[in-house]
Amino acid sequence: MGVVVKRVELSWLDRTYVWPVLKGMSITFGHFIRNLFTSTAKRYTVQYPDMKREMPPGYRGLHELKRFEDGAIKCVACFMCQEACPARCISIEAEEFSELNITQGFEEKRPAKFSIDMLRCIYCGMCEEACPKDAIWLRNDYEVASYDRLSMQYGKWDLMNTYAKADGKESLSQDPSPSVPRRTIAM
Amino acid sequence: MDKLASLLHMTPAIFWMVAKVIIVFLGVFTLASVWTWVERRGSAMIQDRIGPNRAKLFGRWPILGLSQLLADGIKFFFKEDLVPTEANKGLFWLAPFLAFVPALIGFAVIPFGKSFVSGGQTYHLSLLDPGNGMGLLYPLAIGGMAVYGVLLAAWSSNNKWSILGGMRASAAMVSYEIGMSLAVVTIFMTTGGYDPAEVIKAQGHLPWAWNIIRQPLGFLVFFTCMFAETNRLPFDFAEGESEIVAGFNTEYGSMKFSLLALAEYSHLMTASALIATLYFGGWQVPFVENPTVLLSVAAFLGKMLFFAWVFVWIRWTLPRFRYDQLMHLGWKVMLPLSMANLVFHAWRMSQGH
Repeated sequence: MGVVVKRVELSWLDRTYVWPVLKGMSITFGHFIRNLFTSTAKRYTVQYPDMKREMPPGYRGLHELKRFEDGAIKCVACFMCQEACPARCISIEAEEFSELNITQGFEEKRPAKFSIDMLRCIYCGMCEEACPKDAIWLRNDYEVASYDRLSMQYGKWDLMNTYAKADGKESLSQDPSPSVPRRTIAM
Repeated sequence: MDKLASLLHMTPAIFWMVAKVIIVFLGVFTLASVWTWVERRGSAMIQDRIGPNRAKLFGRWPILGLSQLLADGIKFFFKEDLVPTEANKGLFWLAPFLAFVPALIGFAVIPFGKSFVSGGQTYHLSLLDPGNGMGLLYPLAIGGMAVYGVLLAAWSSNNKWSILGGMRASAAMVSYEIGMSLAVVTIFMTTGGYDPAEVIKAQGHLPWAWNIIRQPLGFLVFFTCMFAETNRLPFDFAEGESEIVAGFNTEYGSMKFSLLALAEYSHLMTASALIATLYFGGWQVPFVENPTVLLSVAAFLGKMLFFAWVFVWIRWTLPRFRYDQLMHLGWKVMLPLSMANLVFHAWRMSQGH
C-alpha cells in the first residue's frame, strides 16, 4: 500500500533562507541571554563535586544494616538476603547470643559477620525485598568508590555505620547488650 | 613618542611602524586565542551548558574559564610533536604557517582608527599607510593564499580523510571567492577607489549612509562568502567528524594543530574587520563627526568583535550544508546575486546617483 507523502510547501519567505536563519538566531540568542544572566548554580547542569544531586525516594544506593534504638542490630541472620542475592555478594556468619531468648522477647540469633562485596553488588535491591525484618536498606549514597579492592569489602560494622553520620547517630563498633524486649510473645 | 624612538636609535617613522606591527599582530593573535574561549563559553550558553570553568589560575582563580585557555596553551606546547612516517615532512611542517600567516597579514591594510597628526607628522592607524596602491585588493589576494594552508596540510599528511577535507575546503574557498570579490567590486565602484581609507571616508559617520544600507544585497553575499572563506559552520567542509574524521588536520597534533586552530580564528578576526570596514563604516563612530582617536579605535574594535561574535553565534545556530548544496549556493545563488548587485549599482551610477 502506497502512502502519499505530503510535501510541505514553504512560503517564499522561508525559501529565501534568510528569514528562517534570523528566526533560528533569535532562538539561540534568547538561550544565550537567559544563561548569561543565570548564575551557574541555577543552570541545569549539576556541577558534581561542588553540587550533589538530591536522590529520589526509592533510590538504591549504598546499603545500611538497620539497628534498634539501643543500637542492637535488627538482622537475625536468616540468610534470606544471601539466598536472594543474584550477584552472590553477601556472606553471613550467624551466632547465638546471651542467655536472653525468644520467650523473653528477644531474638536468639544475630550475624557474627555480615559482609557485602561492593565490587560484585549490582544494587538491585533484592536483599531489601527479601529481608523479613527490614534490617537491610539500600539508601541514597551513590559515591561508593575506593582506591583498593580490600576496602570495597564492607563488614558488619561498616554496613551498620554507613549512614550514621548522615542520620546523626553515633558509630558503633560492638553489639550492645540488648535490654528492652523487641516484642511480647504470648506463650 | 619621539623621545622613546631616539632612545631606541630609530627614526619616529620606523619606531611607529614597529610599534604598530607588534601591537596589531599581538592584538589579533590574542583576540584569536581569546575567541576560542568565547566560542566554547558562548556555545555552552547557547546550548544551556556551562562550558569550561574548572581550570584555575594558581589553583585559585577560574576567571570565568579563561585560565582554561592558558592550560590548553601549556598543554599544546608540551605535547609530543608527531609527524606521520609517510607524510611529506617539509610541507607538513610548512602548512600550519602557510595557514596562519595569510590569516594574520590580511589585517595589514585595514585602518583600525582615525589618523592623527603629532609633531608635524601624520600617523596612520593601519600597518600599511593609505595610498599604498594595493588597498583592499591586498586582503582579497591574501585570502586566496589561505587555500594553500588548508590544501597543503591536507595533502602532506598523506591521509585519505585529510585530502578529502582539504579538497572540499579549497573548492568551497575558490568558488565563494568569486561572489565575494564581485560584492567588493561593487563597493569599489560606488566609492570610486579601493583604498580602505577612501571606503571609510565615503561612508561617513551617519549609519544610514553606510554600505550596509546602500547595498544590503552585497552585504548578504559578502557575509555568506566570508563564512565559506574562513571555513566555518555552516560551510566547514575542511572538517566533519561524522564523515572524514577531523578533515585536513587529522594528522596534526600539539603546537602545529594549535597553529591551525589559531589560523582559523585569526582568519575570523580579519574577516570581521573586513566586514566592519567595507559595510559598517570602519572606525567611524555613529553620529560623531570628529571622534577622538581612542573613540574611533573603540568603535572599530566594537564593530569587529560584534561580527566575530556573529560568526560564533551562527556556528551554533545553523546545521551544516551538504557539499552539493554548498556548490549550488555558491555558483547558482551567490554569484548571480552579486552580479545583479553589481549591475544594479552600475545602472544607478549611470543614472547619476
